[in-house]
Amino acid sequence: MMRTRFCVFIFAVLFLCAGKLFGYSLSKDEVVKTFATANENHLEAVKFIAEKNLQEANKKLEEAALQYEMIISKGFRNGRVYYNLGNTYYRLGEVGKAILNYRKAQRLMPRNAELDANLRLAKNSIEDKEVYHETPAVIQRVLFWFFLMNQNEIITLSVSLYIIVMVLFIALIILKYQWLKRVIIGFSVGLLIAVVSLGIKIYVEQGTDRGVIITKKCPVRYGPGEEYETKYEIHEGVECIVEQVKGKWYKVYVHVGIKQEDALQSDTDKKEDKEIRRGWLHKDNLGVI
Amino acid sequence: MKKHIGIFGFLALLIIILGSREKAYSQEISLISTVDKKIVTLDDKLTLTLTVHGTQDVSQPTFPEIEGFNVLYGPQISAQTRIINGQVSVSKGYIYVLRPVTKGKHTIGPSTMEYKGKRYTSSPIIVEVVESTPSSGTKSFDLDKLVFVELKTDNEEPYLYEQVILYFKLYFQKGLPIADIDYTAPATKNFMEEKLGDQIQYEEVRDGIIYNVLELRTAVFPIVSGELTISPAKLKCNLIVQEERNRRVSPRDDFFGDSFFDDFFGRGQRKYPVERITNPVLLKIKPLPEYGRPEEFKGAVGNFNMEASIKTSRVKVGDPITLSVSVYGEGNIQTINEPELVFNNKDDFKVYPAESTTQITNREEVIRGRKVFSKVIEPQKTELKSIPAIVFSYFDPRENRYKTITKDPIPITVESWEQEIPIQLTLSQEKLPASQQQVRLLTQDILPIMTGISSLKNHGYPVYKNPFLIGGLFLPAIILITSFFVVRHKDRLQTDIGYARNRRAHSVANRRLGMAQSALSGDSSSEFYACLSRGITEYLADKFNIPAASASGDRVSVLLRNKGVPVDVIEDVTRCLSDFDYRRFSSDTGTKDEMEHSLNIAEQLITKLEKQL
Repeated sequence: MMRTRFCVFIFAVLFLCAGKLFGYSLSKDEVVKTFATANENHLEAVKFIAEKNLQEANKKLEEAALQYEMIISKGFRNGRVYYNLGNTYYRLGEVGKAILNYRKAQRLMPRNAELDANLRLAKNSIEDKEVYHETPAVIQRVLFWFFLMNQNEIITLSVSLYIIVMVLFIALIILKYQWLKRVIIGFSVGLLIAVVSLGIKIYVEQGTDRGVIITKKCPVRYGPGEEYETKYEIHEGVECIVEQVKGKWYKVYVHVGIKQEDALQSDTDKKEDKEIRRGWLHKDNLGVI
Repeated sequence: MKKHIGIFGFLALLIIILGSREKAYSQEISLISTVDKKIVTLDDKLTLTLTVHGTQDVSQPTFPEIEGFNVLYGPQISAQTRIINGQVSVSKGYIYVLRPVTKGKHTIGPSTMEYKGKRYTSSPIIVEVVESTPSSGTKSFDLDKLVFVELKTDNEEPYLYEQVILYFKLYFQKGLPIADIDYTAPATKNFMEEKLGDQIQYEEVRDGIIYNVLELRTAVFPIVSGELTISPAKLKCNLIVQEERNRRVSPRDDFFGDSFFDDFFGRGQRKYPVERITNPVLLKIKPLPEYGRPEEFKGAVGNFNMEASIKTSRVKVGDPITLSVSVYGEGNIQTINEPELVFNNKDDFKVYPAESTTQITNREEVIRGRKVFSKVIEPQKTELKSIPAIVFSYFDPRENRYKTITKDPIPITVESWEQEIPIQLTLSQEKLPASQQQVRLLTQDILPIMTGISSLKNHGYPVYKNPFLIGGLFLPAIILITSFFVVRHKDRLQTDIGYARNRRAHSVANRRLGMAQSALSGDSSSEFYACLSRGITEYLADKFNIPAASASGDRVSVLLRNKGVPVDVIEDVTRCLSDFDYRRFSSDTGTKDEMEHSLNIAEQLITKLEKQL
């Protein structure tokens, strides 16, 4: 009786897993096909640019962008797709959308040097001298796992450490080796750090909404509506943090920096001043990362 | 000689002091006649005060002609000197207490006095005398007149963004003690607001009654046009009323000690809560006129001026120049937008966004302040001789027109770098000096797309939904808990004899019963009953961790009772043990059916005991 029940359970699990794997492989094939076509369009566009045939290049780039967007709209999230889409928008002259997609890609591929280089280049080409609140390099090196791993990787790391700690506990209970206690303490500290890092990562990526201005010029107003006067203007590519949402309006703040000469210092010594500017902007102007 | 100098110095000092006193006192002379209430009953008393402001050196004003009142006593003279913000004000009051005689509206005629050959006359006051009634209707009416509030603006039809002063005034009759003032400001939706100065306090005469006025002022700036309403302000306070008034010294005491307050508050000091709400204020906000609106206008409304300066006038190509533009004046400083630079050619300068600081310099009467824009511009050509002109436009609501301020270009000298840097065709890894980094690198381009499809996985699928991960979380925990209990069980079996005997008791008893079953088939009745008896006895001995020899009938009964075993089961155990022992050692072994019955009873008994123990 017990054996029959066990066999039915195993078959049910296998059936469910097989169904899931089968369904996933189909959508993956579509994705791979669309991705490859989009890549071909992009590469052809690059050739057209080299031949100075900008009209054809733009056409191909728009096609490629549409295909990448389609892959993403199907719920397929991959750093390469976002990176390639960012490149496509950059070549189309839409720096805001390019930065937006590079930032999305960065969350999935935090260790990719090519992505960092392209993002830096795109950021340098924006009109506003905006200072994004980057973490200092020293902290990035000390807390390297936080900056080099994406959310899923930190989850996997945390679960792995958890399993190791549990196995060590089981070994301690059965084998009663006292030295295992020290090993357990070491791995538990690692697990604690991983879990705290995961919490912070989730808060940073999902707790606060960050966005990029995707229109050429964006008026930031005193209130949520066209009837409010423009407070200041920001331009494409500026990154901001969304504080509040009201209807079709976002309340955002941006870090704006400006190089200032210090009268007492030499010309080479320039200090970077930062200012937080708040205001309301229409949803159409902002792409949320 | 020294003596003369001393006298001269003293006289000079005296002249200075007297001169300053004269200057300080040089306020306008006036005669004001006031009463403490405008409606009195025939039982009430009326206090009439003739106050001379501006001097104390004056003869008594003439007593006015009054119909329908008798003078109870007076005048009581009081002199006051006040110094507020260095301003000295003096006054002298003549107080009369009158008793009404007849009903109706009576006029207290003007009083006159002469000072330095000039004649001063007070205004007449109309006082109504009504029949005294036991109800408090008239009294509550009086209370409304004692404390009231007002909300007003200085302009009912301002322009969009124009500064409007909102006044909240609390009037309370002079001498009326109030405390615990709780002010709820009006809601100013669709307005930006700035608080103006501290509260101010002064006296005001209304309908012949002197009020202390507490005034709060706020500057508001409408941010949408059309009809806007400022919601009412609310004020709560407590009137303090003294209880013990054995001796009525002054007419004011008389006022508070009269039957009105006695009725209202009873005797003893107590607080009487009062709540007052103003009327809402309706404003018609005019939109800014389209006619004559300059292109540079960005919404500044008020009266402003502008200054501009640069920190360095001699720079090299590409070096930053910090341009400081200060816009100051009267109006909403926060909303002043950056003045515009008028470029001849947009490529002449590289321009960075401005940083601004706002400072309110004066908030006494109206909001005045300064907004400073620090802007970095970098000249790109050596031919440039000046920075661009700066233009700022605003709307002046007093003159109903737009105004534009233009600052002339500020001269600068732009020098070239000593050595020209050739344009690079490849990315150089060498560190260039900061000044040379503006050289354009023609090959600078984004890195190519990623075309590999081998590891194209959906990273959007949240890993925490993975069943292996969920299993990885729960399975180790389950194994850990299980292994903990198993190991603990094994340890106890080895170390705790009582526990080990308890755990094994049932299996040992079953083994004994099995042996009894064998004995039954082997026709050995004494062995059969010995197995049954030993089976139950050893089972109980194991359960209670006592020697088997001690598991006799009486002790077993006591132990079972202590464990809460039902009485019928205890009786069954005792009966079985004695029965099995009897049959074991006697010749009356019973039939085979009886033996099987005994075996069944023993099995059932052990099962029952296993459940209970």
